[in-house]
Amino acid sequence: MFYNIFSNELSYWFKRPAFYVYAIIFFAIGLFSSGASAGLFDSFSMTVGSSRVVNSPYAIAMLFGGLSSLIIFLYPSIIGVGIYRDYKSEAHFILYSYPFTKLQYIFAKLLSGVFMVNLIVLIIALGIGLGFILPGTNPDLIKSFELRPYFDVYIIYILPNLIFTGLLVFGVVTFTRNISAGFIFVLILLILQGFLVGFSEEAENRLFSALIDPFGDLALQYYTQYWTISEQNELYIPIKGIFIYNRLIWLGLSALLFAAIYRSFSFSQNPISFSFKKKAINKIKTHNFLGIININLPKVNLDFKLFTQLKLLNKLSNIDFLYIIKSLPFVCIVLFGLLINVLTLFEVGDILGTPTLPRTWRMLEAGETLTLSINICTFLYAGMLIHRSRIFKSNELIDTTPVKNWILFGSKFLAIIKMQILLLSLVLISGLIFQISQGFYDFELSLYIYELLFLSLIYFVIWAFLSFLVQTLIPNPYLGLFIMIVLLIVIPLTSLAGVEQSIYKYSQGPGYSYSDMNGYGSSVERYFTYKIYWTCLGIVFYILTLLFYFRGIVSSFRERFYLAKQRFNGLNRVTISFFTILFLSIGGYIYYENNILNIRKSSKEREVATVEWEKKYKKYEDYVQPRITSVNVNLDLFPEKRDFKASGSYLMVNKSDEAIDSLFLDHSSRISTFKFDKPNDLVSEDTVYHFDIYQFKYPILPGDTIQLTFTVKNKNNTLLRNNSPVLYNGTFINNSVFPSIGYPGGELRDDKTREKYGLLPNNLKPFPSDSTALGNTYISRDADWIDFEAIVSTSKDQIAISPGYLQREWVKEDRRYFHYKMDSKILNFYAFNSAKYLVKKDKWKNVDLEIYYHEGHDYNLDRMMKGMKSALEYCSTQFSPYQHRQLRIVEFPKILGSFAQSFPNTVPFSEGVGFIADVDDSSQGGNDYPFYITAHEVAHQWFAHQVIGADVLGATVMSESLSEYVGLKIIESVNGKHKMRKFLKKALDNYLTSRTFETKRENALMYNDGQGYIHYQKGSLVFYALSDYLGERKLNKTISKYVNSVAFQEPPYTTTLELISYLKEDTPDSLQYVLNDMFETITLYDNKAVSATSSKLENGKYKVDFEFNVSKYRNDEKGKINFGDRKIDSISFKGSDMEKPSYSVYLEDYIDIGVFGIEQEEELELYLKKHKISAINNTVSIIVDKEPIEVGIDPYNKLIDTDSGDNRKKIKEINY
Amino acid sequence: MKLSINNLSKTYRNGVKALDKVNLEIGTGMFGLLGPNGAGKSSLMRTIATIQSPDDGEIFFNDINVLEDNISLRKILGYLPQTFGVYPKMTADSLLNYFAMLKGVSRKKERKELIDKLLEITNLEDSRWKNVSGFSGGMKQRFGIAQLLINNPKLIIVDEPTAGLDPAERQRFLNVLREIGSNSTIIFSTHIVEDVKELCNNMAIMNTGRILKQIKPLDSTKELKGKIWTKIVDKDQIHEFNKNLNILSTSFNPDNSINIRIYSESKTNKGFKKVDPSLEDVYFITLKENS
Repeated sequence: MFYNIFSNELSYWFKRPAFYVYAIIFFAIGLFSSGASAGLFDSFSMTVGSSRVVNSPYAIAMLFGGLSSLIIFLYPSIIGVGIYRDYKSEAHFILYSYPFTKLQYIFAKLLSGVFMVNLIVLIIALGIGLGFILPGTNPDLIKSFELRPYFDVYIIYILPNLIFTGLLVFGVVTFTRNISAGFIFVLILLILQGFLVGFSEEAENRLFSALIDPFGDLALQYYTQYWTISEQNELYIPIKGIFIYNRLIWLGLSALLFAAIYRSFSFSQNPISFSFKKKAINKIKTHNFLGIININLPKVNLDFKLFTQLKLLNKLSNIDFLYIIKSLPFVCIVLFGLLINVLTLFEVGDILGTPTLPRTWRMLEAGETLTLSINICTFLYAGMLIHRSRIFKSNELIDTTPVKNWILFGSKFLAIIKMQILLLSLVLISGLIFQISQGFYDFELSLYIYELLFLSLIYFVIWAFLSFLVQTLIPNPYLGLFIMIVLLIVIPLTSLAGVEQSIYKYSQGPGYSYSDMNGYGSSVERYFTYKIYWTCLGIVFYILTLLFYFRGIVSSFRERFYLAKQRFNGLNRVTISFFTILFLSIGGYIYYENNILNIRKSSKEREVATVEWEKKYKKYEDYVQPRITSVNVNLDLFPEKRDFKASGSYLMVNKSDEAIDSLFLDHSSRISTFKFDKPNDLVSEDTVYHFDIYQFKYPILPGDTIQLTFTVKNKNNTLLRNNSPVLYNGTFINNSVFPSIGYPGGELRDDKTREKYGLLPNNLKPFPSDSTALGNTYISRDADWIDFEAIVSTSKDQIAISPGYLQREWVKEDRRYFHYKMDSKILNFYAFNSAKYLVKKDKWKNVDLEIYYHEGHDYNLDRMMKGMKSALEYCSTQFSPYQHRQLRIVEFPKILGSFAQSFPNTVPFSEGVGFIADVDDSSQGGNDYPFYITAHEVAHQWFAHQVIGADVLGATVMSESLSEYVGLKIIESVNGKHKMRKFLKKALDNYLTSRTFETKRENALMYNDGQGYIHYQKGSLVFYALSDYLGERKLNKTISKYVNSVAFQEPPYTTTLELISYLKEDTPDSLQYVLNDMFETITLYDNKAVSATSSKLENGKYKVDFEFNVSKYRNDEKGKINFGDRKIDSISFKGSDMEKPSYSVYLEDYIDIGVFGIEQEEELELYLKKHKISAINNTVSIIVDKEPIEVGIDPYNKLIDTDSGDNRKKIKEINY
Repeated sequence: MKLSINNLSKTYRNGVKALDKVNLEIGTGMFGLLGPNGAGKSSLMRTIATIQSPDDGEIFFNDINVLEDNISLRKILGYLPQTFGVYPKMTADSLLNYFAMLKGVSRKKERKELIDKLLEITNLEDSRWKNVSGFSGGMKQRFGIAQLLINNPKLIIVDEPTAGLDPAERQRFLNVLREIGSNSTIIFSTHIVEDVKELCNNMAIMNTGRILKQIKPLDSTKELKGKIWTKIVDKDQIHEFNKNLNILSTSFNPDNSINIRIYSESKTNKGFKKVDPSLEDVYFITLKENS
């Protein structure tokens, strides 16, 4: 019997077109994804190049697992409906009297659904496998085919998920007889997982999340989160420990679930209702018609005038709207959307544990989490409204009423819009409530309304147009929903296949961005141009929907097509023609503007251009050029029109000992003129790369000067294009708008891509040991130290700022002028800011401190002032005097980024970091990052603006790592040591996570390629640890010696080699290994507390016995593990219960051991001392005065440790 | 008032001819469409009710070209399909309101008065605030009548309205139909001969998509006068009779003997008794002649 039902189910599915639609879609998605990752589209899109193997077991797990999770949306309609279908067709009345058992029935129904889903999974695997080997993929990225990765991920990941989710959906749909209830449970699972993913951002929550993640993603991630490229390329996914426990937990739950379904199912089933109110299910029965009656109906007016019809449309839409908001899927989708929204409200803008103030734009940003909910509701309910009358079989009643199609469809469309408005207003409501709950009362109601009802709504309306068309053409609303979700995901991804212009991709186009300073700027006009463009197509879709609108009983698509042709007349014809023409015209205009008036390069073309550029001009890289020694610019900013106009001059000197006959001028595409004060010929003018070569009539002799005067202004801005970086309020531009001298680099980085184009592998930068490469700083290749002077003008209500001291300020012709002049040498690195600023002033010793800030952003000015003072104090006492008489922080809009950047005596500082931070000074609070970032940036006045590395590997250690170190030390002096652990753990987690995304290579700190995760996170950890080993004062003294010997030096510039040599000199022999580990190699520890016991001694003290493991290993640039270069460099340990020995690099290391007690609910450090460790497995006994609670090896996470969570252990007390 | 149907044809995609050159003229009053299941009655009714388009043919109601101008017909149309459902969680009141709006009753006050009356007629006043989806079969059918009456229709189409009603319900339902049919055209389909016999002044017999016969129930039996015979026979003999005679119907007696009813120009066999012809005989003969 089992077999009969089972095969019957299968043959049902094989006859359904839906199955083939799913199969084709998923096969295509699999093929496309793996093909794209393997470089299938390289010939017309950007080259996929990297050191990653795209079909490594790990990559396959991600791809295969990820795509398989997509089919979860199909479960309700494939697995869920098994039994439900028998109810629906009312076959259950007959079927349930047949001679089969409950078990056979349930099993057959369940297994057939599961079988079908597995078939689709298989099809995905097939698609993926074939995608990799499609002709046109890049064989360098692929290793030979292996079955095991697919098998592994299928067995351990996909199958258990399928079983659990399948059972859940099966049970829910069977008992509720409602497919959407199954759908809701799928969403609940997904959202639960989304929540866990957010929860596991914090390292300490990861174990728990890994255990209970219903899909096991986090369990897998628990092991692979810090996998280096080499590990990602080579290792099989780890089927062990937490991962297995997780699977067992969910398989166990599946078994329980099945038992529950089996027990509660009976062949005389009534559906379980999910209604909120209890309703009496008594059948209503009244008397029939009374005998013979007279029918005298009151006279009523039947009114079909246009106005009444429009009123009717609105009334009908209210009925549909009420239906939507009362229906359960809607309530669930929205509740979960809101839940995520609220969670996000707490999360958005969290930097180092400190939130930002709940400004309105932040509320709106968090509200974007509802986007998916709104889209899914739109997709689903467009279908439900279109098909509802048929689903409930009232279509024949409704379709014979004299209401016109456009009223019926219009009312449904309007209902969806009303639903969207309702959902968008939830963003406003939750935002306001959140603001009030946080005690923040700077409400900006008009901003809420403008963004939600104008900017956001039009986006959703555009999707509604397409949803209705799809749902009208497709007879099944769930299939329609699925297709819409696929479209939503796939449309933006077509860029990967080389479809890059938004005009070809429905609903796509540039977005908008808001900042308190600049409002929406010019982004809104661009945004609306594209949105109007898509709305035109949307209206065409609207009419098409109307033409194909379901009315009456239509037996074939041909008949529908015939009907549509009949309906295509009069107004429909005019509307379609009009909006098609409008759509094409706007599209044509956008195309013309982007492709004809301006040269648009696809990413492929850009890649080819980069190659050509290198081939053409790299040969001039080492051509000696004169050096800029003085810069004098006049910059006129026109904020209202977002234009700028500049003129300026460079004074240059031939500092070399050979004559220079040619000069290479690199400039932008802006309208420029150039003039030298020495006779010359323009021998090569390149209008593509804007790289010109001037040959002098008489060579510039050593020591000679030459002057370049130039003008530059932007082309006019248009509706679609900004040709200038000037903003309405909050301009921040740097010297890159001016010309520069010599070959500026900008080459392809990826070696495999380079090989494809016949370029030599790229070593990025020379090694610091290359003495010929030390002629330039890493900031500027055409100057050493310069004199700087600038006159900046702007509109009357703005203040313009550039490095230097204000000489004079005046107003002329309604414009405001500022003359700045620097009195000491600076790097060729300057910027200009202009906005309507308020100014806060203060003084540190004789240094003027100023903060230029946006009105209302005065929350943290005192912290930033304090940061400036502390950093000036620390650096000037520890290292060398401050070189300027003034220090300014200048706010700029967050749309330009969330960062701060140090220029001479000037620090542009984004409104997104610091100005609106909501710092909590209590011990639970996060870090005071306005203070911290200020300190870091001020430290750059020393580490960058005094000490600057040569343009070789590792140069950023002297700027970023040291500034980060200073920042850490200053915040430690304010917050105390204990708060540092949180900070260091975060830095460590960031470092370990970021390195897994490395695409090229990770060098040791002193040879780093400039990656942020190395010079910030690892750099800060390293210098912090070093200060711990050597002592802060001693380390600072060494740094100070170094600073004083290299500050403001002329070339050759300093390198990490020189810095390390200073460090080595002042480091005792026993700790030299630290420098090697930290700077010269990538060394990681794997320290672990094994066991800890304590016993009370007779003298009242406590004896702590602590067993712990220490091991360290090295990584090469791809993350491959080794334990020392030679065999004798490594040691091993094999415990009695271990199968394989563990290894370590030879140890002679000093590592903290700490014992902690508790006092007034705060951790109390009872013991902290560095122990010399020379074996992997160690035990120590420590006597402490007070009751010990916890003990740890490297308890403060000062070392780089891949599992920082297992360093501490709670102590078990043993009583004798 | 006249509904005329000319040459209406419809073939489904699976090849079934649902309507095969149907021609009908229907005037005021009750018109019965009689035919077995699958005869094409529903297809014809749906086509007249504008929700299914024919492949060929014309339908006129007075001067309304139904296929060209379906909205005009719908304004005066009342339609009760064979089966229908309603949106869940909607009360009789709200659903009637909804249909009244769809049918063009735009004033709220008028809608209320109308619904009061409709509920009174259909005796659903007590269930006004109950969800229609919970109604029993008979109540749902009455609700169907209520919605049908909203626009005071001139053309009323009811498809198999008595199926599933108990005898008392059926009787009352037909009475109501008769009452509302006094000054409009009502077409109702059924496969039960009784329904037609009692109510209709005009009727047609339909099978395999064709109109086999358009007759007046009262006149139709006259032709058969003296040609219908019955006899009580044994169960074993039935085979024999079947071969030689035109048997119209058979029915068991409690003692397992069988009543047979035959059509014959003259008395052909012993023991046959002449009986008055019934509409049922007409129906069966028509079906037989055309099969």
